[in-house]
Amino acid sequence: MIEVKNLVRTFKSGDRTIKPVNDVSFELEQGTLASIVGKSGSGKSTLLSLLGALDKPTSGDVVVNGVSLASMPDAKLTNYRRRDIGFVFQQFNLIPNLSAVDNVMLPMEFAGVRKAARLERARQLLEQVQLDPDKHVRRINRLSGGEQQRVAIARALANEPKLILADEPTGNLDEQTGEHIIELLSALSRDHNTTILVVTHDRSLANKTERRFRLQQGRLTEETTRTRATAAVTG
Amino acid sequence: MSVLARSVGNAFRNKVRTAAVVAVLAVAIGLALAMLVANQAVTGKVAELNASVGTVLTVNPAGGQGFEGGGEPLTAAQEATAAAVPNVTSVVGTKALRLRNAAEAAAETASGRTGQGGPGGQTATSVTTSLTAAVDAGTLGNRNQAASGASGSGTAGSTQAAPSFSLPVTATGIGAEVDSTGKALQLTQGTGLGDYTAASTGALLGTTLATKNGLGVGSTFTIKDQTFTVKGLFDAGTAFGNNALYVTLPTAQTLAALPGELSTMIVTVNSMENVDAAKTALQAALGSDKADVTQGQRNLQTAVSSLDSVKNISFIAFAAALATAGLIILLIMVMLVRERRREIGVLKAIGAPNRTIGLQFVLEALVLVAMGSVVGAAIASFASGGIASALISSSSSTTAATGQRGGPGGFPGGQGGAFGGASQLLTSVTASASPEIIATGIAAVFGVAIIGALVPALLTARIRPIEVLRGE
Repeated sequence: MIEVKNLVRTFKSGDRTIKPVNDVSFELEQGTLASIVGKSGSGKSTLLSLLGALDKPTSGDVVVNGVSLASMPDAKLTNYRRRDIGFVFQQFNLIPNLSAVDNVMLPMEFAGVRKAARLERARQLLEQVQLDPDKHVRRINRLSGGEQQRVAIARALANEPKLILADEPTGNLDEQTGEHIIELLSALSRDHNTTILVVTHDRSLANKTERRFRLQQGRLTEETTRTRATAAVTG
Repeated sequence: MSVLARSVGNAFRNKVRTAAVVAVLAVAIGLALAMLVANQAVTGKVAELNASVGTVLTVNPAGGQGFEGGGEPLTAAQEATAAAVPNVTSVVGTKALRLRNAAEAAAETASGRTGQGGPGGQTATSVTTSLTAAVDAGTLGNRNQAASGASGSGTAGSTQAAPSFSLPVTATGIGAEVDSTGKALQLTQGTGLGDYTAASTGALLGTTLATKNGLGVGSTFTIKDQTFTVKGLFDAGTAFGNNALYVTLPTAQTLAALPGELSTMIVTVNSMENVDAAKTALQAALGSDKADVTQGQRNLQTAVSSLDSVKNISFIAFAAALATAGLIILLIMVMLVRERRREIGVLKAIGAPNRTIGLQFVLEALVLVAMGSVVGAAIASFASGGIASALISSSSSTTAATGQRGGPGGFPGGQGGAFGGASQLLTSVTASASPEIIATGIAAVFGVAIIGALVPALLTARIRPIEVLRGE
């Protein structure tokens, strides 16, 4: 379970103080598929980085399964990111001189998974996100944007995290592949009890989530709460 | 893909830049290694000089030297006096004999011609041997014979030109396993004589003398009808030096029938700085009318001082070249880390610990350094000799003028190699790039590389991932 308590993140910009995340509180049960929608610059990515321990809040706290991230030292935060979090970045953030399969293997290497096991799992994941097998060993900088997005999603799933934070995961994908990715995320949430929080502009994706939040000027409001079954039917 | 494989791959991301970096590193590393090699060569030479002749004083009877001159012989009591002088670490007495081939000596006696005189009135006929000298008399030997025949203790049979004769063999009784200049004997076969302060029937022969007489270790020969066994062969490095033999000091004194008498004393001082003071004290203790104290290394002091300068310069140059290599690595790694800040942020975001990130950049730096070291070692192996020679020749130009022959070595025309000119000593420094020295230098470069790579990588890895990711 994730509890977000009065989360605030401020930045200084000259004399001004900007609050992209302003007193945000919510809870997500384990296994929930949720989305955050909002305009560009509304603070969606900042909120995601606070939940993923990439950044520290100015005030407030994020509590994951009873453990406060605010009080966690850096080494434990690294462990938390490695074990419990899967990130899908808006700009993919893959290592350009490595192959697709090497990129997917990286988080497993950091988690101490044996080479043969991580290679097998990396290939499985790349097949799940429908990347052509002949492109598994291709360098990232020789893949299209959509293909890179799929590799980024496969990498996020590598260590079977409890929480997947995805920033526009279908943004660079064609409609058909986007649908497939949504189904994949939904299945993960359902079958593996993985909590998935997606930041998106894609209405059809947001409509398929059980809980939908809107972030406006740093403040979060919940738009809808539905059961998974309802979300699947109405989405 | 392991961290190592990733690091190797990263090192070749930009091949043109990698080639340029390796070239620059190779020059710096090559220079550092060449300087280290030169430094080690000079350090070794200085140590060798200091250990052998640099701190050695020679004491001869006042007015006499070897088989020349006159005066009173040195005694065991004077040896004890010398040993008590401050800063003197050891005193080795020697007793020199001239051995004549028994058959030739008999023939000369029959023809009415006697051999050369010896110290203390010792005549050639009194010490005979079965050995034949390994050096032919030649023009110089016959000329010297003619001159010494007129002034020697023997009687000149006539004023006619002396017939050709064979040279004597120099036998030296020694109180330790050193040659007449104080340098350790270079045994090529066999062992030493054991206790040099006790009489024995063992002898050490020069290689050419042994060859001339068909002797090897275990062979026997006679001196004064007494049988001696060859215990070892030595190489003095000169034809004259190898036409000699060594026995223990008491043995030589017994053969000469002059117990307790010494031809020379080799006095070793504890450091070069104390040589002058010890020389003065020694001269005062023994009395200037009793003994002449000579300092074979006086000219060497300048040479060693010059070598010390070369040693210091080469060490500073090594340190500077090493620092340059380190700075190059540091700057390159700062550049690479800055260039790949986003990548570091991503690695942190997906759970890479700081040590893994640091290790990745260190290994990448080491790959570059390893390539630079291979090329640098090749450069050093070719250049170190030339660089060392250039350093030494520029340094020795001021000392060469003083690098003339040293003081008396105790034996006329004897084994004065160790007392040779300073310039000769300087040029005899050989700078060879031994694997140990190269390995030491490369280890130092690797050490610097590790620090140079680790500092920027860890500084970047310590920051929050979002600061890097957002900053791009």
